[in-house]
Amino acid sequence: MKILIIEDEKELALSISEYLSKESYLCEVASTFTEAVRKIEVFDYDCILLDITLPDGNGLKILEELKKENKQDGVIIISARNSLDDKIKGLQIGADDYLTKPFHLSELTARMYSLIRRRQFNNSNIVRQGELEIDLLAKTVSVNKTMVALTKKEFGLLIYFIGNKNRVISKSTLAEHLSGDFVDMLDNHDFVYAHVKNLKKKLNEAGCEQFLKTVYGTGYKWEG
Amino acid sequence: MGRMKNLLQKSLKQLTVFAFIVFALSIPSYFLLVDWIWLKELDENNELIAQRIENEFNEQHISDEKLAQSIQFWNEIQPVSKIEFIHRPLSKDSQYTVMRQNPYSKKEAIDRFRGLKTNIKINGQNYSLVVETNVEETEETVAYIAMVTLLFFLILVVGFWILNRRLSKKLWQPFQNTLQKLKSFQLNSQKQIQFQDTDTIEFAELNATLDKLLQHSIITYKNQKEFTENASHELQTPLAILKNKLDILLQSDDLTERQYHIAEEMNKALIRSSRINKNLLLLAKIENSQFDNSELIRFDTIVLQSMDALQEHFKEKKIDVSAEIYSNVEVKGNGSLTEVLINNLLINAIRHTSPGGSIRIILSKSGFEVSNSGEQSLNADLLFKRFSRMSADNRGSGLGLSIVQEICKLQRWTVKYNFEHNEHTFSVTF
Repeated sequence: MKILIIEDEKELALSISEYLSKESYLCEVASTFTEAVRKIEVFDYDCILLDITLPDGNGLKILEELKKENKQDGVIIISARNSLDDKIKGLQIGADDYLTKPFHLSELTARMYSLIRRRQFNNSNIVRQGELEIDLLAKTVSVNKTMVALTKKEFGLLIYFIGNKNRVISKSTLAEHLSGDFVDMLDNHDFVYAHVKNLKKKLNEAGCEQFLKTVYGTGYKWEG
Repeated sequence: MGRMKNLLQKSLKQLTVFAFIVFALSIPSYFLLVDWIWLKELDENNELIAQRIENEFNEQHISDEKLAQSIQFWNEIQPVSKIEFIHRPLSKDSQYTVMRQNPYSKKEAIDRFRGLKTNIKINGQNYSLVVETNVEETEETVAYIAMVTLLFFLILVVGFWILNRRLSKKLWQPFQNTLQKLKSFQLNSQKQIQFQDTDTIEFAELNATLDKLLQHSIITYKNQKEFTENASHELQTPLAILKNKLDILLQSDDLTERQYHIAEEMNKALIRSSRINKNLLLLAKIENSQFDNSELIRFDTIVLQSMDALQEHFKEKKIDVSAEIYSNVEVKGNGSLTEVLINNLLINAIRHTSPGGSIRIILSKSGFEVSNSGEQSLNADLLFKRFSRMSADNRGSGLGLSIVQEICKLQRWTVKYNFEHNEHTFSVTF
């Protein structure tokens, strides 16, 4: 899958492409507005990561350009600006998601995964791994054709793991994913255990193979 | 400091004292002047009378014996003029003032007389003639002048007072206007002051100086605010790089468990610094008035949403939550800021309640209250200050309550802290 990273900060672009390259993602980087526009005109991408503050132009213009040319590339805005106006404006023009810096690469990957799946499989968007079947559209999970009732949070957690297959996710990263802005204000990250434990238990009881492994004592890794 | 007086009242007092002195001095001056004119006129009058007497006697053309009889008779019926025979004429006329009994008055009355002693010639013989005319007494003149002067003094003082009141309204109007504008001026409101035009040099100068001073303050303040905002913005990128590099580090195949835990601690510290940074940015934005606070928000809905989102954390700490949420509470403000306010207060309560404690949430039409169980009162002055921590727990950003306060300020609400019956209470009044 082809990804375009439009980001003027070299180190950031490098980290993103390094993290993504481990999967089947093919990353290209554009560090200026002009370079980005040139690439978009010529190629199609499955997903574009767009930093809206570029040295030679506003990233939102690139988004407008894409929509004008009726391109189907999925767009995730990554911005240092955490303003609601920017977010609303970006989503109105046609971005699929908005991520505020600093973010975890696992968060970005999970969102990209969902976005690409959503765009590629419009009608039946089903992920299969062994006896596990996840319907991303209907948001249902079944093991050996038997439905497993998951809470909204548990389902989100499962997608997060699936989107970050074979990667180590630390407890604090998960805590950030689960409680967003609240995370650092809370005393401890033990609530992560509760959710992961419940998810594991439900899948296990339904007869699902244990894909989720504990690593380094407190980290997690979805193998597959 | 004594009783405060306005400027014009102070000058009125000085002016009144000065006017009083001038008027007091004018009384003897007027008296001396009037008395002098008085006596001069009477001297002239006495001379005319003397002239008339001399002429009238001479026109009779009577014999010397008859004249002597007439003079004697005259002296009897005219007590204020006396004719006496003299051998040699007086060397010069003399004028004098005398106090004596008024011969025409039946009562005992000492009056002042102006007299003239002069020579007259009747039938070629020398006679001395004394003419005396009643003059107004000194005291009476002084009393009349003093009365009139006092009357004018009173007119002047009343005039001053009335003028003063009108002047303080009219003349000082530009000053009052400037003062009113300064009073309502707020540095963080970003509103420029436009002083009223005035044709008074002093006020124009005052306004110009104030304008310069204010411009300078506004610019300094703006720069400082922008600095916070820019600095926070600039920090986002390095923080993002750090975070991503840590994510990559975690994926290394040869990572030891110890290294993993170090990375995890680093991540926790990073979460905190990003949070502090985000909060600083939020504070700067609130202070720079980058939020619209005129939306109509359903406060109760936001409270219920927040409580729902935090449900697991209440459970986790086994906190007993009781809530009285009035429905349909509509307030004017900013939706996302109000959400931040509610979240901060609730999370603050969760963090500082010991496991098994209790939290009470009350929403009424007029305010929102979050109480949690605790042991001792906190310093209310420091509580809302940035980075002043109340407990040994330093995991928070140290900005949560400052943000609550700033949001309240922006939306013209008030937030108060209170400790009673082993309960910390934060109450927001709309």
